[in-house]
Amino acid sequence: MAIIEAVALRKVFRSVERQPGIGGAIGALFSRTYVEKVAVDDVNFTLEPGELVGYIGPNGAGKSTTIKMLTGILVPTSGTLRVAGIVPQAQRMVNAANIGVVFGQRSQLYWDLPLRESFELLRSIYDVPRARYLENMQHFADILDLGRFLSTPVRQLSLGERMRGDFAAAMLHDPKIVYLDEPTIGLDVVAKEAIRTFIGSVNRERGTTVILTTHDLADVERLSRRIILIDEGTVIYDGSLERLRNEYGTHRTLVVTLAETYPEVVVAGTEVESREANTVRLRFNRRELTAEALIRRVTERYQITDVSIIEPDIETIVRRIYLEGYHDGAVGGPS
Amino acid sequence: MTAPAQAQLTRRPRFRLEPYIQFAQKAAAREATYRFDVFTTIASVLVRVYLLRMVWIALYARNVTSEDLPLHAIITYSTVALLMGLVMDIDQTRTLHDKLHSGGIATDFMKPINVPLYFFSDGSGEVLFHAVLIVPSLLFSLLIVHIDVPGPLVLATFFASFFLGYLVGFCVNFIMNCIAFWTLEIHAARLIVTWVSDLFGGEVIPLVIFPLFLQKVAFVLPFAAMFSTPLLIYVGVIKPERYAQALGSQAFWVIVLGLVATLMWRAGAKRVVVQGG
Repeated sequence: MAIIEAVALRKVFRSVERQPGIGGAIGALFSRTYVEKVAVDDVNFTLEPGELVGYIGPNGAGKSTTIKMLTGILVPTSGTLRVAGIVPQAQRMVNAANIGVVFGQRSQLYWDLPLRESFELLRSIYDVPRARYLENMQHFADILDLGRFLSTPVRQLSLGERMRGDFAAAMLHDPKIVYLDEPTIGLDVVAKEAIRTFIGSVNRERGTTVILTTHDLADVERLSRRIILIDEGTVIYDGSLERLRNEYGTHRTLVVTLAETYPEVVVAGTEVESREANTVRLRFNRRELTAEALIRRVTERYQITDVSIIEPDIETIVRRIYLEGYHDGAVGGPS
Repeated sequence: MTAPAQAQLTRRPRFRLEPYIQFAQKAAAREATYRFDVFTTIASVLVRVYLLRMVWIALYARNVTSEDLPLHAIITYSTVALLMGLVMDIDQTRTLHDKLHSGGIATDFMKPINVPLYFFSDGSGEVLFHAVLIVPSLLFSLLIVHIDVPGPLVLATFFASFFLGYLVGFCVNFIMNCIAFWTLEIHAARLIVTWVSDLFGGEVIPLVIFPLFLQKVAFVLPFAAMFSTPLLIYVGVIKPERYAQALGSQAFWVIVLGLVATLMWRAGAKRVVVQGG
């Protein structure tokens, strides 16, 4: 049974259109023109319990709007939504008990109080049994290394420490589903890695369903097998990362180190991406040319000392899709 | 998924008081982190007690006497008013405005809590911490002025009336901060409310000294229920036979303003869920 089900989900915001300048600001006090903005348009997807899905899209694509509808704090304009068997906005309190939320840009911790006090407050809010609370705290303190700053007021924590605190806070009541909105934004490499390890372990060991929105595609490559790409409010791709790479990442790069200096390097079926001293990067289409055939072509004409192949990274693929749109036609996910 | 587990999922969580007590405790602890504020608050009370004492003595020396309030009564009135102000002058729902402004309100809606009740608990915790300051402020004030202490019946009624006044004040503040649902900024509203309530609440000048028509204006406003009623009970201007009427009118304002606050909250919350805040 699906744990999250979105059918024809749509959200339209109405806002006041302002003319520029002071005159416009004063004018807006008297007469208003409203503009409608479709934030989410006909979004469909289902998630099975225990899935970890990357929800990806450029700024303003509708990611946060979708998350807000899933959490029950935003009512869809039309369409239906079911989360763990209930309609989130109709039963906000029940839904809230089922979910955990982490916003990279906003903390749910008590700013002026030691971290530990926020946890105790959350224990009380979610009615977590004392034994379970202590067990979870112990567990999280171990993986997230919270011990050092449990008694420090939150406002004195570094961003990395605060985020680790926020993760523990979101997971304390063993939610069935967690929504992570840009959880690694602004973190250094070490903190990012700690957070990714934590997300992975929670998903694997506790079977928690995870929806992860992020701009850092390394998060997705590291954690999820399935991604949902959204752009201008619509889902443009839903499927495995592997498939996206196969279908879209058709161009690979062959890096060749030449034994001697040639005035020009021309190889049929490739284009020169860059050239630096004797190292040449050749871009080629995997479907038209196999790596083996290409290497043969190169060695026929040039003396080389080294060769390697670079697979397209997901970042490049996604950037291309944002710019050009998804052309595959058959858009759809597991149904 | 098994049937009982499904039932467990959709059941509305039963109401528990514990989190709300915790909200109040944490809010008090939060206030306590700003310790410097404690000393400045007490000092400012003492300065004001001293200044008001001088003002009233000077005014009464020029025969501005009121039949209802002899000098010792008006000094008692002013001092008790200042002490009450320690609690009443706090905008305990300011957090609501701050959270609407920053968008932080969203995280509160994502928790299984009754959000307005959370604001009430949080604000009351903040207020309770400040209430503790009344004791040292009172002791120090006694070094400057002598104040009358009424009998147990009057005192008990005063505290009941004080509590009702607190509820009225909470509703007024809550309504004011709810305006931020629509405008985000509430400077103007806050200025007007502060100005009118300072004048018609009886915190600085007892309403019984006012000309009759101004007293009538004060009566149709809720602010007298915050300061004036408990204070007039304390100094004995409101006699025991009028207690029921006095407390009744305060209760009336609690109900009316409570309804307005509820309606504004619902409309505001609806706006948030429809417009995204």
